[in-house]
Amino acid sequence: MATIRAAALRSRALPRPSLAAAIWAAAWRELKIFIRYPAWFIAMLIWPSLFPLGYIFTSRALAGPSGEGLARYVSFTGTTDYVSYILTGTVIWMWLNTMLWNFGNTLRTEQQRGTLEANWLAPVPKWFLLAGNLLVDAAQWLLFLVVGGVEFYFLYGLRVHGSPLLLSLVLLASLPSIYGLGLIFASLVLWAKDIQKAVDAVRGTMMVFCGMTYPIAVLPAWMQSISHWLPLTHSIRATRAVVAGQGWTAVSGDMAFLLVSGFLLSAGGLITFRATERTIQRRGSLGEY
Amino acid sequence: MGTVSRDAGTVDRRRPTLLHHWLVVRAIFRRDFISYFRYPLNFIFSLISPFVWALPVLFMARAFSTGARNEGFAAYTGTSDYVAFFVIGGLVTSYVGSVMWGMGFSLRQEMWQGVLETNWLTPAPIVVQLIGRSLWSLAITTFEGIGILAIAWALFRFSFTGHILPALLAMIPVLIGLYGLGFGIAAVVLVTNNANTVIDLTNYSVQLLSGSQFPVRVLPRVLLAVSLFIPLTYGMDAIRGYLLGTKTLLPPSIEMAILLAVMVCFVAAGYLIFRKVERDVRTAGNLAFH
Repeated sequence: MATIRAAALRSRALPRPSLAAAIWAAAWRELKIFIRYPAWFIAMLIWPSLFPLGYIFTSRALAGPSGEGLARYVSFTGTTDYVSYILTGTVIWMWLNTMLWNFGNTLRTEQQRGTLEANWLAPVPKWFLLAGNLLVDAAQWLLFLVVGGVEFYFLYGLRVHGSPLLLSLVLLASLPSIYGLGLIFASLVLWAKDIQKAVDAVRGTMMVFCGMTYPIAVLPAWMQSISHWLPLTHSIRATRAVVAGQGWTAVSGDMAFLLVSGFLLSAGGLITFRATERTIQRRGSLGEY
Repeated sequence: MGTVSRDAGTVDRRRPTLLHHWLVVRAIFRRDFISYFRYPLNFIFSLISPFVWALPVLFMARAFSTGARNEGFAAYTGTSDYVAFFVIGGLVTSYVGSVMWGMGFSLRQEMWQGVLETNWLTPAPIVVQLIGRSLWSLAITTFEGIGILAIAWALFRFSFTGHILPALLAMIPVLIGLYGLGFGIAAVVLVTNNANTVIDLTNYSVQLLSGSQFPVRVLPRVLLAVSLFIPLTYGMDAIRGYLLGTKTLLPPSIEMAILLAVMVCFVAAGYLIFRKVERDVRTAGNLAFH
């Protein structure tokens, strides 16, 4: 009896499980791992300006030495400035790409390292692992945006002609849909068990349908109808509009779509994660890879 | 291979023969084959993903084209068939990525899985193991390449108007030279413990500067100078010259001579760098650190 009482006293002395503390611990761990591999910093400096280069030089080749191909391009986009057009598309796409890698890797890497089951035993909702990652990913994205903005300004001469505040609102409105998609993606990676191909499929689909480097008017009609339903299409279109100097009326429709789709995707993400959690616990396949 | 002789109880320390190397390569190929098909989505995505990467560029070309012709592009290259130009570049550079990921990333994966040291301790030379790791990747790339050619032809209708045999011959030094690059990448992965960044950056930069998507003539002078130091630039240029009759940077025979010379230098340099790094990490004892 005395032993049971002592155990009860000890258990009372233990701190109550705190979700916030768990999220912070997961975020802190991700940050430490991120800092431990300095090559990521180099990547963050190089990728924003390197990635669009291929598309920019391709456009230059397609436009021709005397701009022979530009008339057709203008009829689609209304601008001859293909550099700004490509930069705004690629920067939003790179956000999605980084998020997919970070979110997809969160659970998958733990599976491979053999630490997922141990962390899963934490007495808090299991999405704390992804929430911690979200904090680090958002911080990385902010850093990426600042670095990319400076590089675009000096290397490519990109200028934002519209309101910076409106541009920030567009990016904020894109946040829930991007991370909602991330939540769904991270859950599905536990099923698919292959991060590389899963990322390739999602980011590739978005790249094709969302008009990252071209106007969606060049797509066949059936592809255009799909692209209208993808939040990234609206994020890219609204960002391009603000960069080109347009105001609220030009982006209000896209903003409304982003907010509604963001809510739906976030809710869908939580439901998918919960369903995955239940299934893999029942099957006992959490640590399998 | 060091095998224990049953009657004498001694270790057979004969030098490994080509047959032994072949057995090692075959075992690794078989392992990668089994792993690959263990994840069925892998197979489906392998078919889709290369094409998904190609489509954005092909649709972008459509925004500049009138019908199937692209006059602006023709002024640079001598052909208005951008799709054929791009498909050739995409196919050649997919082998670059294949060797880099096959040799570099597999090391990283084995670090994660904790089997790198164990595999390193086997009497199979590590260079042979690396070559084995790249072979499945090359096989899949070839398979994907055929798929891309078929789908791109069905959707965008391109044609190769030139000679196929010399173009295939030009691929041989390109592929062998790539192994030198692969050894170098594997060495960097061992030193940095970071495969994704190293391979991604190198792969993308090489693809970009060698003109996989566009003629290198459009590059600014500084980048053009860098591009002319990359042997793949000449390989791709020669292959396009043979297959499409495009304007080449140098006469194709000179480009082939450059490729052959560079092939020997790359393989020798890559091998020596890898052996040096391997010795260093073994001395430091940090082979499996990640």
